[in-house]
Amino acid sequence: MRALRRFFRRLASWTRSRQDEERLRAEIDEHLALQTAENVRAGLSPSEARRQALLKFGTVEAIRESYRDQRGLPLMETLIEDTRHALRRMRKAPAFTITTILTLALGIGATTSIFTLVHAVILKSLAVANPSELYRLGKESRCCYYGGYSQEKEFSLVSYDLYKHFRDNTNGFAELAAFSAIEPLFGARRAGSAEPAQSYPGEFVSGNYFTMFGIRAYAGRVLSPADDQPGAPPTVVMSYRLWQQKYGSDPSVIGSVFTLDQKPFTVVGITPPGFFGDTLSDNPPNFFLPLNTEPLFDGDLYTVNNNWLDLIGRIRPGAKPAQVEADMRVELKQWLLSHWGDMNPNERAKFPEQTLFFGPGGAGITSMREEYEHWLQILMMVSGFVLLIVCANVANLMLVRGLERRRQISVSMALGARASRLMRQPLTESILLSFFGGAAGLGIAFAGTRLILHFAFPKVAGLAELPISASPSMPVLLFAFVTSLVAGVAFGIAPAWMATRVDPIEALRGAGPSTTRAGSLPRKTLVVFQAALSLALLSASGLLTTALHHLESQDFGFDQDRRTIIKIEPRLAGYQSQQLTPLYSRIHDSLSNIPGISAVSLCTYSPMGANIWGGMVRVDGQPAPGPNDDNLSFWDRVTAGFFDVVGNPILKGRGIFEQDIESSRHVAVVNEAFARKFFANVDPIGKHFGQHDIGSEREYEIVGIAKDARFVTLKLDQPIAPLFFLPEAQHDLSPKAEDLNGGSHFMHDIVIVTTPGASLPIAQVRQAMASIDPNLPIIAIRTLKEQVTLQFAQQRLIARLTSFFGILSLVLASIGLYGVTAYNAGRRTNEIGIRMALGASRGNVVALVLRGAFALIATGLLLGVPLSAAAGRFLGHQLYGLSPYNPAVIAVAVVALGFSALAASLIPALRASSISPLEALRVE
Amino acid sequence: MRDKTDVLQGTLALMVLKTLDVLGPLHGYGIARRIEQISGDLLTVNQGTLYPVLLKLEQEGSIASEWGASENNRKARFYRLTRDGRKQLQAETRGWEQTTAIIDRFFAVKAEDLK
Repeated sequence: MRALRRFFRRLASWTRSRQDEERLRAEIDEHLALQTAENVRAGLSPSEARRQALLKFGTVEAIRESYRDQRGLPLMETLIEDTRHALRRMRKAPAFTITTILTLALGIGATTSIFTLVHAVILKSLAVANPSELYRLGKESRCCYYGGYSQEKEFSLVSYDLYKHFRDNTNGFAELAAFSAIEPLFGARRAGSAEPAQSYPGEFVSGNYFTMFGIRAYAGRVLSPADDQPGAPPTVVMSYRLWQQKYGSDPSVIGSVFTLDQKPFTVVGITPPGFFGDTLSDNPPNFFLPLNTEPLFDGDLYTVNNNWLDLIGRIRPGAKPAQVEADMRVELKQWLLSHWGDMNPNERAKFPEQTLFFGPGGAGITSMREEYEHWLQILMMVSGFVLLIVCANVANLMLVRGLERRRQISVSMALGARASRLMRQPLTESILLSFFGGAAGLGIAFAGTRLILHFAFPKVAGLAELPISASPSMPVLLFAFVTSLVAGVAFGIAPAWMATRVDPIEALRGAGPSTTRAGSLPRKTLVVFQAALSLALLSASGLLTTALHHLESQDFGFDQDRRTIIKIEPRLAGYQSQQLTPLYSRIHDSLSNIPGISAVSLCTYSPMGANIWGGMVRVDGQPAPGPNDDNLSFWDRVTAGFFDVVGNPILKGRGIFEQDIESSRHVAVVNEAFARKFFANVDPIGKHFGQHDIGSEREYEIVGIAKDARFVTLKLDQPIAPLFFLPEAQHDLSPKAEDLNGGSHFMHDIVIVTTPGASLPIAQVRQAMASIDPNLPIIAIRTLKEQVTLQFAQQRLIARLTSFFGILSLVLASIGLYGVTAYNAGRRTNEIGIRMALGASRGNVVALVLRGAFALIATGLLLGVPLSAAAGRFLGHQLYGLSPYNPAVIAVAVVALGFSALAASLIPALRASSISPLEALRVE
Repeated sequence: MRDKTDVLQGTLALMVLKTLDVLGPLHGYGIARRIEQISGDLLTVNQGTLYPVLLKLEQEGSIASEWGASENNRKARFYRLTRDGRKQLQAETRGWEQTTAIIDRFFAVKAEDLK
């Protein structure tokens, strides 16, 4: 309390400092007068009396200083003085100031821009109430369906039945909510409007979903458990984004009826603006539907062993998460045991190892975090390196400026200035510079983040945007502030320290620069450090670029030229599984008739389309796969002529014909990898296999082998995975005549081959599609090449960003080297003059200067090579199988650095050699 | 070995407060003189050091000051104890007495007393 009062008094007295000085002077005068008078009374002569009084009083100046220290706020006063001084110095050297601020802005901007992404993707919690109380099932995010009673490593997706079991039996939850792991597209249309349906992502959620998150409706109401009952009138909650962008925040939307895939739903409310669902994705749901409306569409809800729901629960206050996890493990086992009769032998064998994990869920389902974490780490590291190089460069500049001030500093020291005060001054200047750089960097960061988002997540037609904003938030601003402060100290501390190591005598002696080499070691160290970092960045960008090139130029096994993909979604137009085959032949026929189109085929997923089905293969005549056998194969469903259309050669047997209809024998075409995996030494043609329960081994007969082609976008660094193709017209029927893979008959992609030289007649294609069914929207049209390229968008962005940073670091390091070489050469002018006078040739002088520069670069390279290797190791599997120890890449980086170094040091070397000896000798 | 004139700031402040308590409002010179007299010239302070202490005490609110006329009719600044200062003096006096009492006891103890 007393300290506080004192602070305010100080603050007050600081503002009226002149008055106080006056007061002290008056008091001292009075004191001395009184003492002198007393001394005179004691018998001293007036002058002696005055002298004694002064002696007794002590050093007036020292008292005054100490009084001043007591009076105002000395720290703040000197800070303001230093700031004013620094600003004046900056104004006096505008070139230096602008260069420094721009360089710093680049470094801080780059780092801040990457941090914006790191914050949004990795650090941020969902915009819900008390995210720390949320816990979610599963350590890894899984997509999207997991059939059966056993799951690898952990039970992370559950069925509706299992969800209800957990919800009703676990005590530790205030609320436990479930929602679909997949966000299916719905063809949505306001009932009664003339507009055709448009596709939007939606999500099935349990009735307590919003209550669990603590989310209130922005308008209307959120879903309640009453909406999530069998037979309840279908209701839906719309996202704020859709409501605002599509319907202009029209309040009449609430309460009105929308059709989703032709089924009527009443919109009961709008989500709040910041809420984008449980998962950060580039496809946030626009509709939230109650779980119990799911049977209107697919009917996964009541299948007891169909696991398609994610769980997030809000822990009851005081409940222990570890206890909840333990309880749920027991409940899982109980539930599995209650379905023992339905389990197959493999599932029973795996029963003991079934477990689950329950961890913090405040960030929601973090699939995006898992996907991008490593990329972002790489980018954060790269931009951090750039910032370090920037700091080294600025430190170098500051050192030179510090040297210019040596004389002034020695004079200050000789006059008694304290070292700490002398250090504070240049440090204030560097921190100030850094703050200016940081402020400018914020602008760069904003633009950079927008650019990165634009390239990394290109706006795909039919999908919503990624809910990440480039504008700086509070944590980002804080990050930029702290980064600037740290950078300012980092590049300012060495020059500041150097400043205080000046010998006062030196200034008075008036010594020239050639007698002292002080300050040259730290500058050389900085250059070595820059060269090493720059080499590491260059080789990292070289590795990433090479890896990307390998990826893009690999033999995909299909033709990309003249191929166009049209994305459709028959589900959105309300088609049922049985109506599809006639629809597809209508599409095939009318598109084939358009001039310029030479062939058409449909498939569930086209090559490199980022999605594919997977199944467990049972081969006829081979023992049933055990619980730990890997019998996974990917598969695709296609219409006749598919292999010719995508240009995937059939090596043996035949492809899929129009004659492959429901009533004919069910066939499959397999790829080479499939043949190798399941028929090591046998000719697979004519053999049978299946992908369902025991008894399905003769489901398909193999009629052809296709050349291995890259269909699957997973594991691009691995050899091509086993894959088989089934005809669209044939359905996998169970003994009870259920369609086991009904969903796979909904073809997403139409593949079109245009005749050579013709461009795709888009208008005619749209017209043809509209005449087939106006309710069947075209979601997107893109070439197969674009589709492939899209898969590498992120890799390309990373490679480009890293290359950009690499080149930037090269330029900065060269500037640093140039500075040091030029400065050293300048200081040796005298020596060079003597050497030349004694007969050294121009060449000797150039060699002399270059030798100095290259000694630095060589040391930098020597340190940089192991650093590059470490950087390569850190890139790890992002190199898609490329070895991180790539001598060619490192060699190229070394040569690039060497050449820039040569260019940077040749200029000062030539300048030094062109000086005339006479002139050089006169310099001293 | 400490110089006898090396007076801690805290003790000087306490002396100032006590002086003002006993003598009432005084100017800086008066306070300095009084401290010298009481200590029997054992304690000779650089009189100037008194002024920063006076300023600190005033900032803390223990004393207040105003201009007045000195004995020889010159303008002088007079310091007086405030209510806060009186309270502070009482508290510090108690603290000081306790400290000296403890120290006295330690000095009184002989080796055989501890057996």
